[in-house]
Amino acid sequence: MSATLQADAATAAMPQRNSRLWKTPAVLTVLRLLIVAVVLVSWEFSSDRIISKFWVSSPTAVFAVFQLWVIDGSLWIHLGATLQAIVIGYVIGCASGILLGLLLGFLPRVQRIFVPFFSAFYALPKIALAPLFVIILGIGIESKICLVAVTVFFLLLFATMDGMRDIDEDVVESLEIMGATRTEIATKLVMPAAKPWIFTGMRLSVRYAMTAAILGEVIAANRGIGFLIEYNSGMFNAAGVFAAVALLVLFGVAVTEFLTRFERGSAVEKLPF
Amino acid sequence: MRPHSTRVLLAWQAVVFVLMLGVWELGSHLTDPTWTSRPTLVAVRLFELFKGEIYKHLAVTIGEIAMGLVLGGVLGSIGGLWLGNAKYLGTLLRPIVVTLYNVPLVTLAPLFIVWFGFGMQSKVVLVAIAVFFVVFFNAFSGAQKVDEDILESMRLMGATRYEIFVKVVFPASMAWIVAGFKIAFPYSLMAATTGEMLAARDGLGSLLAKSAARFDMTGVYTILLVLMVIGMLMADFAVRSENYLLRWRNAKQ
Amino acid sequence: MQNNSLSEVPHVVAAERMGGVPRIELRGAEKCFSTRGSEVQALAKIDLTVRPQEFLALVGPSGCGKTTVLNLVAGLLSPTSGQVLYNGAPVTGLNRSVGYITQKDTVLPWRTVESNVGIALELHCRNVPASERRDRVARMIELVGLKGFEKHFPAELSGGMRRRVALARTLIYEPETLLMDEPFGALDAQLKLLMQDQLQKLTHMAKITVIFVTHDLSEAIALGDRVAVFSPRPGSIRTMRKVDIPRPRDIFNVRFSDGFSRLHEELWNELKDGIAYGTNV
Repeated sequence: MSATLQADAATAAMPQRNSRLWKTPAVLTVLRLLIVAVVLVSWEFSSDRIISKFWVSSPTAVFAVFQLWVIDGSLWIHLGATLQAIVIGYVIGCASGILLGLLLGFLPRVQRIFVPFFSAFYALPKIALAPLFVIILGIGIESKICLVAVTVFFLLLFATMDGMRDIDEDVVESLEIMGATRTEIATKLVMPAAKPWIFTGMRLSVRYAMTAAILGEVIAANRGIGFLIEYNSGMFNAAGVFAAVALLVLFGVAVTEFLTRFERGSAVEKLPF
Repeated sequence: MRPHSTRVLLAWQAVVFVLMLGVWELGSHLTDPTWTSRPTLVAVRLFELFKGEIYKHLAVTIGEIAMGLVLGGVLGSIGGLWLGNAKYLGTLLRPIVVTLYNVPLVTLAPLFIVWFGFGMQSKVVLVAIAVFFVVFFNAFSGAQKVDEDILESMRLMGATRYEIFVKVVFPASMAWIVAGFKIAFPYSLMAATTGEMLAARDGLGSLLAKSAARFDMTGVYTILLVLMVIGMLMADFAVRSENYLLRWRNAKQ
Repeated sequence: MQNNSLSEVPHVVAAERMGGVPRIELRGAEKCFSTRGSEVQALAKIDLTVRPQEFLALVGPSGCGKTTVLNLVAGLLSPTSGQVLYNGAPVTGLNRSVGYITQKDTVLPWRTVESNVGIALELHCRNVPASERRDRVARMIELVGLKGFEKHFPAELSGGMRRRVALARTLIYEPETLLMDEPFGALDAQLKLLMQDQLQKLTHMAKITVIFVTHDLSEAIALGDRVAVFSPRPGSIRTMRKVDIPRPRDIFNVRFSDGFSRLHEELWNELKDGIAYGTNV
C-alpha cells in the first residue's frame, strides 16, 4: 500500500489542520453550487449587454418559459413522450437482443457466419435510419420506439454473445466429465456466465437509448424533449431552446441517478486494463 | 482455426449474402418497388453517384468528422489530463463533469445550426463538442486514476511536476484516452450525419434527408450503404490504432 | 513495550567514535495511524543510527514497522513524534537522496525494459547525455541478468524479472542511500544469490548506504554489517547485532562459515520469541 495512502489515514504533522476543511463534502458541495451560481449570474448579466439575448437568452427568461410549460402541462406531455419512447424501445430492444444473442450463442457456427453482417449494421449510425422509420411508421412515437429498439438491440445482442463466449473451456470439460448434459451446461454455466455481461449491456444501453429517442425527436417528431429543442430552434426562440436544454439536463441527471440506485453503484466506466 | 474452416466459413457467408440480396430482389418484384427498392436499383444508383456527385458530399462529411475529432479530441485530452491531474480542482469539478457527460449533447444540433449556420462550421462544432466531452471524461478519469505508487517513486527519483506529467500521467492515461476515442469515433459520425440531416447544403446526411423528403427509397438505401461502409472503415481504423498504441498492454508473458 | 536504547548504545558510541554525522538517524521516532477511530501504533519510539556506507539489514515478520522505517527515511511519512534525521538534518518532504525499491512493482508498463531502466537518467536533475545513458543502461541490464530483454514490455516479463528491472532502474543513478523492501523475495534461490552478490559489490564500490528489509534471516546476515531484529505490535527493534564476517564477502559460501551459523541461531531465537511475544499479547 502506498505510503501516501497510509498517510491519508494518519493525522500527519506535515499538512496544516486547515486543509482538511477544504475536502469535507459540505464545503465541496457549497463550492460546486457556487460555481453553478456564478455561471448563471454571468449568463444573466451578459444577456443583452454583451451578447444579444436573441442568441443566448437569459436565465430569467428561460425559467419563465420552463414555468409556463409546467403550468400548462406541456412539460409532462413532452417528457412523457420521450420517456415512453425510451422505455418501450428499450424493453423491445433488450428482449430481442438477449433472445437472439442466446440463440446464436447456442449455435456458435451460425453465429460465426452472421457476426460480420451484424457488425456491418452496427457500424451504421442508427440515426441515419430515422428518416426511413419516419417514412414507414410516420412522425409519431412509433418511429422513435423503433429507433431506440434497433439501437438497444445491437448492443444487447453483442453483449449477450460476448458473455456466452466468455467461458473457460476447461470448466466445460470438467462438467462434461462429471456427467452434465448439454442443457445442464447451458443453464448452470453458460447462462450465469453471460449474466454480468448482459447486465452491463443493459446498463450501458440506457444512455444510448436516451440519445436515440431524443435524436429521433429532433429529426422528425411532434412531441418530446428533442422535438422541443428542434421546434424552438426553428422558431428562433432561444429561451425555449434553453428551457428544453434544461429539461434535457434534468432528465439526464434523473436517469443517471435512477441507474446508480438500481445497480450497486459501481464505477460507470469499466477499467480499460 | 485451420484454413479449411475459414474458407468454409467465408463460403457460407457468401451464400447468406447472396440469399439476402436474392430475397430482397425477388421480394421487390412482388410488392411496389417504390417503397422497397431493390439491389439492382441501388447498385445502379451507387454507380451513378460515384461517377461524380458523391465525392463532394464525401469530402464534406469526412472533413467535418476529421476536423471535429481533431479539435474535440485534442482539447478533450489536454483538458481532461490537466484537470484530472490537478488534485483539488479535479475532485471539486468531477460531479459537474459527470453530469455533462451523461447529457446527450448531440441532441443540441438544432441550436448549433442556429448559432453557426448552414455550412460546415456548425457540424464541425457539433462533432467537436460531442467528441470533446467523451474524450475529456475519459482523459480526466485516467489522469485521476494514475497509480499513486508510481507517482511517488518518480518523485523520489527526482522528477519535476512537469516531467511527471509528461512521462507518467500522459502515457498512463493513454489507455483511457484511446477508449474515449473508440467511443468518440462512431459518435462523431452520428453527430455529423445528424447535423447534415437537419440543415446542410452538402454532406451525406443532407443527401439522405433530401432523398427521404422525395420518398426516393433507392437514394435512401444507397446512402445508408455508403454510411455503413464509412462506419465500418472508421471502426476498423479505431481497432488498429488501439492495438498499435496500446501494444504494451496486450503483450503476453 | 521494549526499551531498545540499551542495545543501541554500542552503536551510538561506534558512530561517535567514527566521527562525523551519521547518514540516517531515528531519535525516538514513533508512527501512529488512526484508522476508523482507533489508533494503531505501527512503530514504537525507536532509536536507530546508520553510518555512512553501512549496510543495515532489518529482519522480522510482517507488520513490525520495517516498511514504516523506510517510508520515514524516504520522507513519504513524517513521524508522529520524535525525529528522523538525514545527514544531520531533519527529513522534511521527499528525500531525494534515497533510492527506494518498494515491495510493490512500480515499473512503468508502457515503457520497454531499457527505457524503464534509463528513466532516472532522463530527468533534468541529473542531466545525463543520451549516449552515456545508453551505455549505463546496457551495463546495468547486463548486471541484473536481463540481457536480451531490452525491448520487452513489463507485461511480457515474469514477476522476478520485473523486480530486477526495478532494481536496475534505481541502482543506475547510484543514490547516496538505498532503501530496499524485500527486493529479492520473488526470485529463485540461484538468482537470489547472484543478485545479492551483485548488490554488495555495487554498493561497496559506489559507497552507497543501504537499509535492507527482508524476511530471510540468512540473507540479512549474508549482506548486512549489522542486523536489526524487529518484533511486532508495536513495531520495535528487539535486537541489534553486528555481523563480524569480514568484507568483501563470498556470498555463495558465506553461510558455511562458523560465525554465520552461530549468529543465525542466536538471531533466529530472537526472531521466534519476538513473534511469540507479539501474538500472545
